[in-house]
Amino acid sequence: MTLPPATVSARDGSLTAAAARGRRKPTLDRISFMAVFLGIPLAIYLLFVIWPFLQAFYYSLTDWSGFSNTSNFVGLDNYARIFTDDLFLKALGNNIILLIVVPLVTVILSLVLATLVTVGGSSKGQIKGLKNSSFYRVVSFFPYTIPAVAIGIMWGQIYDPSGGLLNGVLNAVGLNFKDYAWLGNASTAMWCSIFVIIWGFVGFYMVLFIAGIKGIPSEIFEAARIDGAGRFRTAVSITIPMIRDNIQTAYVYLGIFALDAFVYMASLFPNAGGPENTTLVMSQQLFFTAFQRGQFGMATAMGVVLAVATLIFAGLVFLVNKLTGGSEGGRL
Amino acid sequence: MNVQQSFARRGFLRGALATAVLAPMGGALASCASGGTTTTGPTGTVSDANPFGVPDNSTLDAVIFKGGYGIDYVDFAGEAYEKNHPGTTAKIAPSTAISAELQPRFAGGNPPDLVDNSGAQSIGISTILAQLEDLQSVVDAKNLEGTPIKDTLYEGVLAPGTFDGKLVAINYVLTLFGVWYSSTLFEANGWTPPKTWDEAFELGEKAKAKGKYLFLWGKEAASYYLELALSSAIKEGGDEVRVALENLKEDSWKHPALTKVFEALDKHVKAGHFKPGGSGTAFTAAQAQWSNNQDALLYPSGSWIENEMKDQTKADFKMMGAPVPTVTTTPKMPYEALHSGGGEPFIVPSQAKNKAGGKELLRIMLSKDAAANFAKTKLAPTVVKGTVPADGFGSTALVSQTKMLEAAGKNVFNWQFLDLYGMNKDVLVVWNAFLDGKSNAANLANDMQKMSDKIRNDSSIKKVEIK
Repeated sequence: MTLPPATVSARDGSLTAAAARGRRKPTLDRISFMAVFLGIPLAIYLLFVIWPFLQAFYYSLTDWSGFSNTSNFVGLDNYARIFTDDLFLKALGNNIILLIVVPLVTVILSLVLATLVTVGGSSKGQIKGLKNSSFYRVVSFFPYTIPAVAIGIMWGQIYDPSGGLLNGVLNAVGLNFKDYAWLGNASTAMWCSIFVIIWGFVGFYMVLFIAGIKGIPSEIFEAARIDGAGRFRTAVSITIPMIRDNIQTAYVYLGIFALDAFVYMASLFPNAGGPENTTLVMSQQLFFTAFQRGQFGMATAMGVVLAVATLIFAGLVFLVNKLTGGSEGGRL
Repeated sequence: MNVQQSFARRGFLRGALATAVLAPMGGALASCASGGTTTTGPTGTVSDANPFGVPDNSTLDAVIFKGGYGIDYVDFAGEAYEKNHPGTTAKIAPSTAISAELQPRFAGGNPPDLVDNSGAQSIGISTILAQLEDLQSVVDAKNLEGTPIKDTLYEGVLAPGTFDGKLVAINYVLTLFGVWYSSTLFEANGWTPPKTWDEAFELGEKAKAKGKYLFLWGKEAASYYLELALSSAIKEGGDEVRVALENLKEDSWKHPALTKVFEALDKHVKAGHFKPGGSGTAFTAAQAQWSNNQDALLYPSGSWIENEMKDQTKADFKMMGAPVPTVTTTPKMPYEALHSGGGEPFIVPSQAKNKAGGKELLRIMLSKDAAANFAKTKLAPTVVKGTVPADGFGSTALVSQTKMLEAAGKNVFNWQFLDLYGMNKDVLVVWNAFLDGKSNAANLANDMQKMSDKIRNDSSIKKVEIK
């Protein structure tokens, strides 16, 4: 940034001059610069981010109903209550299933697809993807352009037991799935929902990884090929290490999503938590507690737990990446 | 970049952050959840034509749930309001998410003057009970025709809005519950709506022989069968069943009357009288399978069903309603007894600026013109008597509703605990499993009892005693 002045003072041999420059007297110019480029963003950040966080934490320690302007301080009662509440724990468990499955499967699937359309093509001549790869790229991005609510409603119809597309196809090929309620059975509801979520996300992460792979110089792939590396070896030993940061980013984003998952679950299972609560997620329980039960204090406590869980998850991903030799800090 | 400079900047940032975080904290803790205070706006002169003293040149702020009935029926009353009170403006706003939209306004102390607290996202009434006006003055007032409003209402319609002896909500639409069927289909096959569960089972077998089912359900509406079961059990065991459930009493779900009803339903489930797959079917799709495909004979629901399925009902369906079956032929309440509730509960918040205006609009709505307009345009009766002509505007369902109400007379009942404690979500889970055959009568009673016990034992939930 401002290298020249510093070097000048060093040439003078006077370190105090450099220090004096750092603590230069506040001029109007300096102050107005601080105010505009530091003060205002900081104020906005504090007012709209930090302040609500603090407020939320305070509300989680009260029995506020949400609709009145009075509340009592109850300490950690709300936390004690939600951690002994079987429904909230069930929801937490469901979120953990989502957290384990959704990012893993989505990342692997979109990596495979991204590799296919960028470097998975003919092993002769220039490094390129499969034939018509741009077509596949556009098509697989489609689901991401549909709003999540619409995806939920659409798949609700596809899974419909009597008139749904899925049972129609299964029956047509001779399997007897007449009236089987995919979203109505505890054994299938969660997996069917996970499928829908992954279906909706793969295209976007594929495009993200394609961008990452395109950033790798093609000479590296060519060199590997000359050394006799096959497509799989290239993907594992070159592609993945080179786009490690992108994968980490994708993993964290998907994890944050899996801890929320409200829109998909609420549109696939309106007004309830799915069969035997197998698809109930924390954010749904939070919503019901706040707006139907009128227990905003407890609902905010759930929100705080959700936020802490998200932070822990992000921390874990960074830690794992670091321990396995990823780049320092990574980037988000 | 110079190292020292960079450190200085970081220090500055850190210091700024720390002060900024700490400074407002003290204030926050002190001023938390503070809102407005009760305001009493200007009042006009009270007269017979203006019983609540609506000031001239004032503005009325009403938020109306926009569901199946729309909001045009309130607009209709709003026009009369503006005409009767010179210079006033009636601002009638629609909302589909009452709770989320009005929560900040209630918390901030500036709620609207009149709210139609309805829909899946309505405000749990128990959370705002203390913040609502007593509406007794509205029903005591005379309507525009000069008759006291309370004399013009159907039996029992104020009960659903009365909590702890205070009338906090006036349900505008009369809703009665029963089982609905196609009279054309029933006549063609010589069937009659079942009066007891034994008859229902026989009918179920006959339906099976025809390749049909007796019942069907949709995942978001599995609770309609809870309604059916409760109505039947209350008729069988009398009011004590209802009072015990309302007050979340221990073992209230194990009352013999309820046990018998659950067992009867279980018998239907196990005999395959329910169309399978309901737990994975959207309720609108399921209802169309009944009203359009006629896959099932009966559907338990509220009287809104005709209007709701208007576009998806088979031609010449001729929908009719019947009271729900009873367990024995000698129940404590007659077979004709009805679960009659209300729809569209209107409330006036105590902190509203123009409470008089809110009450006045409600008074106009409960007067003859507005009520008749509602019945005519929505094909549903309001709580005001005598607005539906004998031909029911050509609707068989509306005619059968009037007949059911007349037959029931004073034998109408209603319950509040399900809405009061926001139990719908948990009810759906339990009932979907039961109707799917994954549970049985005993488990169902246990699950419901557990739900009720959990609320009773949760000291953070305010209980309302119901008589």
